Amino acid sequence: MLQLGCSRSDAPSAFVAIEHEISPEPIRVGSATIALKLSDATGKPVTGAHIVIETDMSHAGMSPGFAEAKEVEAGHYKAQLEFQMAGDWVILLHVTLADGTKLERQIDVRGVLPK
Amino acid sequence: MNPSSIPVPDTPDSLPFDLMRVPGLGHLFRWRYARPLLQAPLLVLSVVMILHGLFGPTLAPKNLATTLSWLHFRGVLVLVLLCAGNFFCLACPFMLVRQAARRFFKPRFNWPRALRNKWLSVGLFVLILFTYELFDLWSSPWWTAWLIVAYFLSVLVVDGFFKHASFCKFVCPIGQFNFVASTLSPFEVKVREQDVCTRCHTKDCIRGRREPISDLVTIRGCELALFQPSKVGNMDCTFCLDCVHACPHDNIGILSRLPASELMVDPLRSGIGYFSRRKDLTALVIVFTFGALLNAFGMVSPVYAVEAWLGRMLHVSHEAPVLGSIFTFFLIVEPVLLLGLAAWLTRVWAHSPRALLPLAVRYTYGLVPLGFGMWLAHYCFHFLTGLYTLIPVTQNAIASLGRPFLGEPRWTLTGLPANVVQVVEIGFLVLGFAGSLVVIHGLAEDDCPDKPLRAFLPWAMVCLVLWCASLWLMFQPMEMRVMLMSG
Repeated sequence: MLQLGCSRSDAPSAFVAIEHEISPEPIRVGSATIALKLSDATGKPVTGAHIVIETDMSHAGMSPGFAEAKEVEAGHYKAQLEFQMAGDWVILLHVTLADGTKLERQIDVRGVLPK
Repeated sequence: MNPSSIPVPDTPDSLPFDLMRVPGLGHLFRWRYARPLLQAPLLVLSVVMILHGLFGPTLAPKNLATTLSWLHFRGVLVLVLLCAGNFFCLACPFMLVRQAARRFFKPRFNWPRALRNKWLSVGLFVLILFTYELFDLWSSPWWTAWLIVAYFLSVLVVDGFFKHASFCKFVCPIGQFNFVASTLSPFEVKVREQDVCTRCHTKDCIRGRREPISDLVTIRGCELALFQPSKVGNMDCTFCLDCVHACPHDNIGILSRLPASELMVDPLRSGIGYFSRRKDLTALVIVFTFGALLNAFGMVSPVYAVEAWLGRMLHVSHEAPVLGSIFTFFLIVEPVLLLGLAAWLTRVWAHSPRALLPLAVRYTYGLVPLGFGMWLAHYCFHFLTGLYTLIPVTQNAIASLGRPFLGEPRWTLTGLPANVVQVVEIGFLVLGFAGSLVVIHGLAEDDCPDKPLRAFLPWAMVCLVLWCASLWLMFQPMEMRVMLMSG
């Protein structure tokens, strides 16, 4: 899956493509790993980003989960997520690039299955 | 059982408790502007919900419209109905807007005679349940906001054209829910002493208090056509307290009573008639009871397997026809089968003189406690497990305005643990089941005094089946998906 987008600032350097992969597939209630690949407009890996991952359910009444992604190699980040309930989830990526530029991305995760 | 067989308290010790006699509370309720005072905060809250729903975060857990509507409002509503009475209708913000509008637009028409029943509101009740599932209202702040807007507009249109409280009595689906549930409430707006009413010649409680010369109404009488001396129970009563304010003898109170007792009797009720002759009311009770299970079914894992199977059987990929089939089964096929079989068995075993349909109509009211138990269990699950989420959502809303004076959102605040809430849920289900058995037994004793057990058993079996289904639903893993099918 691929997520592309621009930051809210007008700086051209802030164009960042974010690819993500969640495992295991299909996603079930419990722990999961999200792998993120950040690259700039020229395809170069974006290093040194600080990524906070927020997981929300699609309905009210649940607290969001928060995790920090660690850079495992240049431009590649990983984090452990916890899906507490079956159903639809939304993952929000709060990304702060090395130059301080902030990005927000939303990933919809449909149909997390019961254990 | 007839009204005369209801134990009438005759000693001072057994007099019903009257909320109007509570210092402070009684003064508040007697004050003419008590209702607007209670409505105003809810109106402000409604406006905040609409604005936040339309312009706030698109994620339901972070939006006041979805959090307040689908967690807190529903939870508080059923708990107030259980513990007190129909006080939400008293504080209904829609009526405040209607009152303001009626200063400029006087309604000129009477509600059409053909629609003076519950059929339209039953249809709207089903429609709300259906759209809730089809459009996943619980996950959409935007749609939730528009639902509230639509409600305000509907009130203005209906009560702008039609006199009295036509919207409340014949249209409002929330009101119908409240009317049915409030038959189980421990309080009722009721006359204190019938003798006083017998001697009363002005009947202000229904006609309204009028200027002596001009005959202009200065204090409204009951807009829902409930004449206090012959009013029985809470059905159709919005607790608006118009009768309290209009009564020149201060003879109307908010009196305690045995919850569900009004379901066991069948007197002629002012503004309603006989329960046993109201097929529309029975249909409302069926939607109330079976809809409770259906609404809960929509949030557990097995519904997706059923939808997928139905989609394959019907060769459709869109959700609407599949949901329509599920609704048809739950709200028509299942009730017809269960209630029809129970009515037939009652005729065969207990030799009840009634025909099948009147039997089914009569005993269906006994299912109200069971249905309410399920609504309580369902709504209180969401309310209690998400009790504190209102705090971070409010903090977030205020912070988004640029003035975070309530601090940064504390997203870790949620609510009571699910295992604790599950005990509460089971308690509500047991309470509902027991209540239904008591009501049905009362009806059976009245209907077949010689063989009450034979009349009771078929309906008790229906209750048992529904109760087991409720318990099964409560123990299913919760799973809420926005898109059920690919359509």
